[in-house]
Amino acid sequence: MSRPRIFSDWFRIRKDLSPGRKSLLTVFSFCLPAALWCIVSYVPFIWHPDVKITVAASREGSSTVLTAGDHLPKDYFPKYVNDVREENASEREGSKRKNQKLLRQISPLVIEAGWLDERDAQNDKEIYLFWRDIATGKRELPALNDENMEIVRKNWEILASSSPVFEYKSLPEEPLLKLVPQGKPANPSYLPAPDEVIETGWSLFTRPPRNDGATMGERYRSSLGIIFRGFLWACLIGVPIGILCGTYSFFSTLLEPFTDFFRYMPAPTFSTLLVAVLAAGDSPKIALVLIGTLPHMILMISKTTRLLDPALLEAAQTLGAKPRQMIGSVVLPGIAPNLYNDLRILLGWAWTWLVIAELIGVKSGLTEVIETQGRFRNFDQVFPVIILIGITGFVTDQILAWFHGVLFPWAGTSGRISRAVASFVTWPIRTVASAANERIMQDELAREARRKLRPSTESP
Amino acid sequence: MTTIETLPSYLDQTPEVAARFARLVERPVALEVKGLTKVFDSSRGAVTALKDLSFSVHKREFTCVIGPSGCGKSTLVRILAGLETATSGEVLVGGKSVSGPGPDRGMVFQGYTLFPWLSVKENVMFGPKVSGTSSVAAEREARQWIDLVGLSKFENAYPYQLSGGMKQRVAIARALANQPQVLFMDEPFGALDAQTRCEMQNYLLEIWKNVDITIVFITHDLDEAVFLSDRILVLDANPGRFREMVEVPVSRPRSNDQVFEPLFGATRKHIEHLIHPPGREQKEAPVMRIAKPDPDVI
Repeated sequence: MSRPRIFSDWFRIRKDLSPGRKSLLTVFSFCLPAALWCIVSYVPFIWHPDVKITVAASREGSSTVLTAGDHLPKDYFPKYVNDVREENASEREGSKRKNQKLLRQISPLVIEAGWLDERDAQNDKEIYLFWRDIATGKRELPALNDENMEIVRKNWEILASSSPVFEYKSLPEEPLLKLVPQGKPANPSYLPAPDEVIETGWSLFTRPPRNDGATMGERYRSSLGIIFRGFLWACLIGVPIGILCGTYSFFSTLLEPFTDFFRYMPAPTFSTLLVAVLAAGDSPKIALVLIGTLPHMILMISKTTRLLDPALLEAAQTLGAKPRQMIGSVVLPGIAPNLYNDLRILLGWAWTWLVIAELIGVKSGLTEVIETQGRFRNFDQVFPVIILIGITGFVTDQILAWFHGVLFPWAGTSGRISRAVASFVTWPIRTVASAANERIMQDELAREARRKLRPSTESP
Repeated sequence: MTTIETLPSYLDQTPEVAARFARLVERPVALEVKGLTKVFDSSRGAVTALKDLSFSVHKREFTCVIGPSGCGKSTLVRILAGLETATSGEVLVGGKSVSGPGPDRGMVFQGYTLFPWLSVKENVMFGPKVSGTSSVAAEREARQWIDLVGLSKFENAYPYQLSGGMKQRVAIARALANQPQVLFMDEPFGALDAQTRCEMQNYLLEIWKNVDITIVFITHDLDEAVFLSDRILVLDANPGRFREMVEVPVSRPRSNDQVFEPLFGATRKHIEHLIHPPGREQKEAPVMRIAKPDPDVI
């Protein structure tokens, strides 16, 4: 036997790959997009059409206020730098107020270096001391380029001559030099790098929320609550109706045409109506998930029910089953595995309705974060939430898919593990049932034996 | 050696067989069909599937129904089982007129139709349970029937784990568990391979011998019909009409070797000629010749 070669047999028409290769490719199917994202984010010459400002400077006569962290188009950045340089070289008027603002230019860098807390961004006393430390070489700030280091030293000469510590009164009137803008190549703000997303995502879930809003955990629970309550209601109404429609022509003709029509009216168009009827709170949101899911559910389940092999119903009839018995003992068990899969697909759709539902009335849940942070272009906060929804849906579906094998071992699709779980779960029931059966059977045999004995003893 | 030309007539019954048929006719009638007509209304107009069909089957008789395709065999058995209603005519089982399906008539379908969500045992229990038997009694009965078809080891298996022949044995056990008066079988072995089919035929005869049952068996296989039946109902096609009720002169108990008996061949030939009258084959369209004439391939 020759060993299988690594490079052969990857592409064979309608032939399965080996399990090892399959799992490898499954891992790849997640790794490839992630790798693509990393390459675009971390390899500088791939895309990076923007410059992310690390040192910002205000310009005289310009109304655009740029701060550290802002993005500028790559080809505009040099003009921004030149403007500030020209301003530094020109004759200009100074003031204490302007100089105070100028000193704060350094604070984002100092915060970035971890020397200053974010809340002290305008603590001029601290900032003043940092200017001193950097100028005298006591602290090193590599983020500053040589040009700006020069400016820091020049400014400090002026500042030191008036006061060693910050005092607004003793700030010089003469204009200080502005730090020249610095920046690094960056992708547009709508494509944050993976590490940013992970970091922000982590802090989103671990840090308490900024202003008395809900924590991410609470938001997550509220979203899950809405989707599951909406879906549960849809199931309670939709499953029986769907089965009735698939079983009786009467119900199908009575209910399906309107359902089909209703399906084409997009659920979000009812949002204002739902809020008017059910008021604010969770109810209109649950109702939106419900009316978004229900028509599809009815039609899908009625179709699934109709797909049940009619020969099974005929067989049941020839075995003496009455019409009512046929629903309970043939239709329901017969469609159960397909019904279960339908519900799995519909639960996926319900997530779509959830996102819309959370925007109506009072915004809430995970979608509120997406909405509000997206408006501020804080996409590093948006992506973790989107990914969280994706992971939740995917994991739920995988678990439910696996349970299919546990619930319906007779479908012949269960793996070894789910079969084992199924037999483990049903073991107590089976044991009790078989023991009871045994007991009843013995009793019955004994009774029969007695019945047989009696006539022979009575009649001599 | 017997050649086709020297075959005896299928009417040459041995005294034993003749006496057996005489006794069979004395038995009460289990199934009587009177003037059965079925017309299907299709978009292209009415199609008569069965026309004025009458016959009767005696108790514990094994009857096959055979005929050219389109003779309405399946329609007939579906009407008999009550799955379809006749346009006119009457079906009597045990002297009582029937309409609609019922547990007094069992049915075995070609496509097994086992309930996939039930184990072998539960499938067999289905009939007794829907008619109100307690599960304990139903289970005990089911065990007996499963024993009878030789599947005791598989009583907890699900249908997907069984072979075609095993599935059909479960289907037979399931139909018998209701203890019907008549068992209808609609080409039950049609989907099985030749060996399994032969095995199943022997099985079926064994069951028929041991169980108080009258069997009406639909088939398109001449050998199967002759091998299994007491009498064969031959139908004409378009519309399905009564052609002949052939008494099979082959002695019982049947064994596989009887296929080579002259009377078996004679009966088979007779029925074949009823279904495909000789002389019709020549009317077939000429086949295009692509290969050169080869004296060894003729």
